Amino acid sequence: MITTSRRARLGWNIATYAVLLTLTVFCIFPLLWTLLTSLKYEADIVTQTMQYIPKRITFENYVTIWTQSGFPTLVFNSFVVTATTVVLCLITGTLAAYSFSRFHYPGRGALMLGYLVIRMFPAVLMIIPLFILMRGVGLLDSRFGLALAYTSFLLPLFVWMLKGFFDAAPKELESAARIDGCTRIGAMIRIVLPLARNGLVATSVFVAIAAWNEFLFALMLTTSQGSRTWPVGLQLMVGEFQLPWGVLAAGGIISIIPVMILFAIVQRTMVHGITAGAVKG
Amino acid sequence: MAERMSALSGPSPSLWRRLDPAAALGRLSETRYWMYLLLVPSAILILAVVLYPTVYGFQLSFRQMRLNRPDLGTGFVGFKHYVAMWNDKVFWLSLRNTAVWVTFAVVIEFGLGLLAALALNRNLPGTKIMGVLILLPYFLPNVVAGHMWALLLDPRLGVINDILVRLGFLETYKAWFADPSTALGAAILVEAWHGFPFFALLLLAGLKGVPDDLYKAASVDGAGPIRQLRLITLPMLRSVIAAAVILRVIGLVNSPDLLLILTGGGPGQSTQVLSLYAFQKAYKDFNFGYAGALSVVMFVLLMVFAWAYVRVSKVNQD
Amino acid sequence: MSTLTLNGVRKSFGALDVLQSIDLKLEDGEFLVLLGPSGCGKSTLLNIIAGLETPTAGDIRIGDKRVNDVHPKNRNIAMVFQSYALYPTMPVERNIGFGLEMRGVETDTRKRAVDGAARMLQVDHLLDRKPGQLSGGQRQRVAMGRAIVREPELFLFDEPLSNLDAKLRAEMRTEIKRLHNRLGTTVVYVTHDQIEAMTLGTRIAVMKGGVIQQLADPMTTYEKPANMFVAGFIGSPSMNFITGTLVRDGEHVGLTTDGNNPASIRLPRVAANLDALLGRKVVLGVRPESFQADGAAPDLTGTIDVVEPTGPDTLVVLALGNQTITARLGPKLTVATGETLGLSIQPDSISLFDPDSGNRIE
Ligand SMILES: Nc1ncnc2c1ncn2[C@@H]1O[C@H](COP(=O)(O)OP(=O)(O)OP(=O)(O)O)[C@@H](O)[C@H]1O
Ligand SMILES: [Mg+2]
Repeated sequence: MITTSRRARLGWNIATYAVLLTLTVFCIFPLLWTLLTSLKYEADIVTQTMQYIPKRITFENYVTIWTQSGFPTLVFNSFVVTATTVVLCLITGTLAAYSFSRFHYPGRGALMLGYLVIRMFPAVLMIIPLFILMRGVGLLDSRFGLALAYTSFLLPLFVWMLKGFFDAAPKELESAARIDGCTRIGAMIRIVLPLARNGLVATSVFVAIAAWNEFLFALMLTTSQGSRTWPVGLQLMVGEFQLPWGVLAAGGIISIIPVMILFAIVQRTMVHGITAGAVKG
Repeated sequence: MAERMSALSGPSPSLWRRLDPAAALGRLSETRYWMYLLLVPSAILILAVVLYPTVYGFQLSFRQMRLNRPDLGTGFVGFKHYVAMWNDKVFWLSLRNTAVWVTFAVVIEFGLGLLAALALNRNLPGTKIMGVLILLPYFLPNVVAGHMWALLLDPRLGVINDILVRLGFLETYKAWFADPSTALGAAILVEAWHGFPFFALLLLAGLKGVPDDLYKAASVDGAGPIRQLRLITLPMLRSVIAAAVILRVIGLVNSPDLLLILTGGGPGQSTQVLSLYAFQKAYKDFNFGYAGALSVVMFVLLMVFAWAYVRVSKVNQD
Repeated sequence: MSTLTLNGVRKSFGALDVLQSIDLKLEDGEFLVLLGPSGCGKSTLLNIIAGLETPTAGDIRIGDKRVNDVHPKNRNIAMVFQSYALYPTMPVERNIGFGLEMRGVETDTRKRAVDGAARMLQVDHLLDRKPGQLSGGQRQRVAMGRAIVREPELFLFDEPLSNLDAKLRAEMRTEIKRLHNRLGTTVVYVTHDQIEAMTLGTRIAVMKGGVIQQLADPMTTYEKPANMFVAGFIGSPSMNFITGTLVRDGEHVGLTTDGNNPASIRLPRVAANLDALLGRKVVLGVRPESFQADGAAPDLTGTIDVVEPTGPDTLVVLALGNQTITARLGPKLTVATGETLGLSIQPDSISLFDPDSGNRIE
C-alpha cells in the first residue's frame, strides 16, 4: 500500500515487522518447544519449575522410540503407502490432467467439476463403505489398500493442481512437435512433461506430504502392525503405554523431518500450484 | 531392446514391431477418442474408491449394519437411523458444536491469514523467510500438531500455563482440554494455528494479482490505508476469499482428526462435532448404519452450504 | 513444392461456426496471405491445413493427394508459430533438427542440414543456447530455421512477426521475402498486418467471420476491393465512405450526399459507364491518397476540421455535408482549421458499393 508521508511509512513498516514476527513465533514456537522437549531428560520435563533452556541434552528419547517400539516398521509402512499413493496419482492423474489441460471436448467442464466435487465428500462417508468393501476383497489392513483409499481424496487434488502447471505450457509446442513428427503421446512425453517437471515434482510432493500425514483413513483401515502407518502407531502408543512426553516428542520430530525437507525443497513451486488450483477451482 | 526380447520370447521381429506397445500407444493417441482415453485410468480409480463407496454409503444409511452385533443382520430399516438421529441429543449437540467450531475457526483463520498476507505483501527486506515459516504448520501432520499443543497446554507441565501464570493472567495452571468451558476454545486455537497459513497462502496470491496502479490512484485520491483495504483490496480479493472460505469450511466439517486426537469429543460431549460423532459411531460402536446416516446428513448440509455460499458470493459480485 | 487445394472446408466448435465454406487453390510457389481481423478463423484454417485440427467438412489436397486423414508429420509441411513454439528444454541445434530426428535422419546428415539452415538464417553461433537465452528476433530466426531445414512442400506461417518490434519486423519481412524467392516453396501466411500482406503476398485472401471476402493479388485487393469490408480493412488511413445518390452533373456524374445538409461531389472519369446507375443510392469509396488539393477545378469542396502533419504528408479531415472525409495531401501544405478546401479525385480511383449488401458495383 502506498502512503505518502515518510513517518507514516515508517510506522507501517514497524507494524508489519511486529505482525510477522508475532505470527512467526506463533507458528514456530510449538515446533521449537517440541524439539527442546525431545532433547530433555524425562526428569527435566516433569519438574517443579519449568526449564525453558534445557540444562543438559540427551538423544535417549530418540533411541528409545526408534529401538523400543515398532516405530521403524511404522515409518517404513508409511513410506510404502506414500510411495504407492504418489505412483497411483502420477500414472492416472497425469493423464487426466493432461486431457483437461490440452483438449476441449463435450463434457470436459462437467467432468472437471466432477473431479472437483469429489473433494467435498466427507471422509467419514467414504471410510465406512471402504472398510466394508476392502474387507470384502482382502485389501483391509494392507498397504496397497490404504494407498488406494488415499487416492480417493488426493487424486482430484493432484489432477487440479497439475492441470495448472500443464496450462502454463503453450499449446503451440505440441502442434510444433506433431508437425515435427511426434504422436500426441510422444509430444506429451517428450515436450510437455519435461517442461512441467517442476510442477510434477511439486504436485507429487504435495500428495506425498498429505499421504504421509494422513491419520483417519489409516486408523480405520489398518488393524495390525503389518500395515499400520506412523500417525496411527504413535497415537495408539500414547493411549496404550502412556508414552513419556520426551519420547512422544522425539517420535513427532522424526516423522515431520521428511515433511520439512520436502517442503523446503519445493516450497515455492508447491505454493504456486496450490494457489492456482484452489483459486481457479 | 525389442530385438533382443523377441529373440528370447519367440515372435518374429516383424510381429514385434506390430505389437510394439509404444507404437501402439502412439497410434492410439492419434485417434479421436484420445482425450477420453486419457481419463479412463483415473475415472476407473475414482469410480472404485469414491463413487461406488459413496453410493454404498448412502444406501448403508438405510440399513441395519452393526459389525459387533451380527445377530441383527443387515436388512433395510428405512428411515430408522434418521428418526433415531432426530431424537438423538448428541446429534443436535454435535451439530451446534460443528457450527461453532467451523465459524470461529474460519473467522480467526481468515483474520490471521489476511493479516499475514497483507504484511507479507509489503515485501519488506527479511520477511521472505518469515513467509516460509508461517506456512509450515499447514503441512504438519494432525497427530503431531495435536500432541504438540497438548504438551504446550498440559495441566501439569504446559509451558503456556507457566507463561500465563508468570505474567499474572492465571492464578494456577489450567486444564484447558479437561474443562468443558474451555475445551472447544482451546481446540479452535490449535485449529487456527494449523489452518491459518492456508488463508495466508491464498490471500497472498490474490494480493499479488491486484494492480499497484489501483493503490496509486487511491492514494492520489486521498484514501488512507484502511480505506484502501476496504475499497480496493477486499473487493478485488472477493473470489479468492470465496474459494478459500469454501475449501476451508469443507475441510473443517469433514475432518475430525484434530478433535479426535486432542479431546476425543470430551469432556462430556463438549467438543463433539458431527464428523467425529459419525467416526466414533463407526470406529468404536461399529454401528455402520447410523454412522452412514450421520455422514449423509453432514454431506447434504455441506452441499447446501456450498451451493448457498457460491450463490451469495456470486450475487454480490454483480 | 506443391499445390494446395481446399474444397468446401468448414469447421465448427460445437455450435460455433468458425469457418463457413472455404474454397482455395494455390499454385506451386505461390505466397498466399490470409488477412483478417482477430477471431475470423485464420489460425483455425491454417491448423486445418497443417492437420492439427480436423475439418467438419470439406477436402484438403496437397499436390494431388487428399490429406484429410494424413498425420501432420506426413503432410510434408512446416509451420512457424506466433509464439515460435521453440522447445524450451532443448538447445537451438536440437530444436532445429528435431523434425529430422523424429524422421530417423542420421546424425551426420542432420547436423549438416541444421548447420546449413542455421547459416542461412545467421543463427549458427547460437546453436548451443537454449531458447530462453535468445532475443525475440533470434528466436524468430530459429523458428524459421526449424521450418526450412526439412525442405517441406508447404510452409505455414501463423503471424510469425507479430511479437517483434517495428524495426525487426520490417527486417524479417524482407528476410522472408528473400527466403521465398530463393526456395520457391508454396507459402500460406497468416497476418493481420496489411503491410505484410501487401508486400509479401502473391495473393491475399481477406477473411471475415469465417468467410473469404476476396481472394486476389495485392493490387486488385487494394484498387478494386470486392466489398466495403475489404475496402475498409486494407489501407491506412482507411478508405472514405460517402453515402449519397448518383446524379447527372453536366457531362460528369455527381453524387449528392445524404442528410439534411447535402453536399455535391463530382466523380472523376471511370472506365465503366455510370449512366445506368443514375438516381441510385450508393456508397462512394475514395482512398485518402486519391485526393489532391485543387483550388482551380475541385471535384468537391469542404471545411477543414482537423490538420494532422505526419512528416511525409499531411492528413486533412474535411467536413462534407454531414459526413467527414480524410485526405492524404502533400507535406508542405499550408492550410488551417476552418478554411474551405477544394479537392480533386484521381481518375479511375473510386469504388462504388451497394449500401445494402456492401458489395462492389462494377
Ligand atoms: N478449440 C476451440 N474451441 C472453441 N472455439 C475455438 C477454438 N479455437 C478457436 N476457437 C474460436 O474460433 C474463432 C477463430 O479462432 P482463430 O484462432 O482461428 O482466429 P484468428 O483469426 O487466428 O484470430 P487471431 O488473429 O486473434 O489469431 C474464435 O472465435 C475462437 O474463439
Ligand atoms: Mg490466430
